[in-house]
Amino acid sequence: MTEKEQQQIFEDWLGQHKALIFKIVRAYTFTVMEQDDLFQEIIIQVWHSVPRFRSEASVITWLYRISLNTAIKWTKKERKHYPSETLEGVQHILQESRMQPDERLVWLYKEIYKLDEIDRSVTLLLLDGFSYKEMASILGITESNVGVKINRIKKQLITKSKKYDHYGI
Amino acid sequence: MEFEELRKIWDAQNDQPLYAINEKAMYNLILSKKKQAHHITNISELLIIIVYFITGSFVLGRNLFDQSRNISMYLLSAWMLMTALFMLVNRTRRIKRTNQFDRSMSGDLDDAIAVAAYQVRISRIMLWNIVPIGALIVLGLWEGGKQIWIVIIVLLFFALSYYAGGWEHNIYKRKQRELEVLKKKLDSAG
Repeated sequence: MTEKEQQQIFEDWLGQHKALIFKIVRAYTFTVMEQDDLFQEIIIQVWHSVPRFRSEASVITWLYRISLNTAIKWTKKERKHYPSETLEGVQHILQESRMQPDERLVWLYKEIYKLDEIDRSVTLLLLDGFSYKEMASILGITESNVGVKINRIKKQLITKSKKYDHYGI
Repeated sequence: MEFEELRKIWDAQNDQPLYAINEKAMYNLILSKKKQAHHITNISELLIIIVYFITGSFVLGRNLFDQSRNISMYLLSAWMLMTALFMLVNRTRRIKRTNQFDRSMSGDLDDAIAVAAYQVRISRIMLWNIVPIGALIVLGLWEGGKQIWIVIIVLLFFALSYYAGGWEHNIYKRKQRELEVLKKKLDSAG
């Protein structure tokens, strides 16, 4: 694969599927500095992954696999000790959308963030409609393990959504 | 609330991306990476020039003062002084090239990539430069009738230097790749 081809594919992927990366960044980070760092890390890994991509998997599945693996590794090993507050005057590459976010969505992200790294991945894939088989393939765990995790996560989220009815859920 | 309702809330965000890419912040990041690349390159160039010049001069001076007939040591001093000169010439060329890039976001990034590529090339040359220097020193010690264990220790030291040099070279290569990815990102955002 030539570099030009790699760049073309990379641009197509980023143009069409950046929302997917944004979701993962949001679910795995707390501060804006962390968001910038993880976003850049994922972008770098996606770029390197382009020549390895085979059409057996869909692009979305591939991007999820690369991005989630990067996010999990980043959380476990490379997460730096950023200040909990945003530094004043520092500009960030990722800017939150100016539209007022749905409070229920904010709540949902907070709940996802409270889960461990693997459960967060399962939840994101579940919410985006992946099958058990696809989730097992992306995360490298068995389908039965995925099933167990999903049952637990669903129960947990449904129970919490009832408690937080003041969010309008 | 059932899970399907949570999924509906989740799906609604697909119509409205969570973030936008802030180009100004990206430019600041590029500037800081450019500064960092220039700073690291500047320091390593000066270090190579100073260390090789002083060491080469010292070895030459010592040989002349002692009226030594150790050919390897003369060759070593000449090689070190040539290395310092080579680095000086490369540094001058690099500084001239820096002024050719335009002062746009893309130009600054191209500049940073060029410096990083230069750093990768220089670190590779310096890595291989350990081989002739190590060989000449070992030969010099051998000609000077030094004990074998001293020669072995020196050889081990150079092997270690070679390993550390390879590690440093890989860091520069990674930095270059990161900058290239940033360039692709900039191109795809534009």
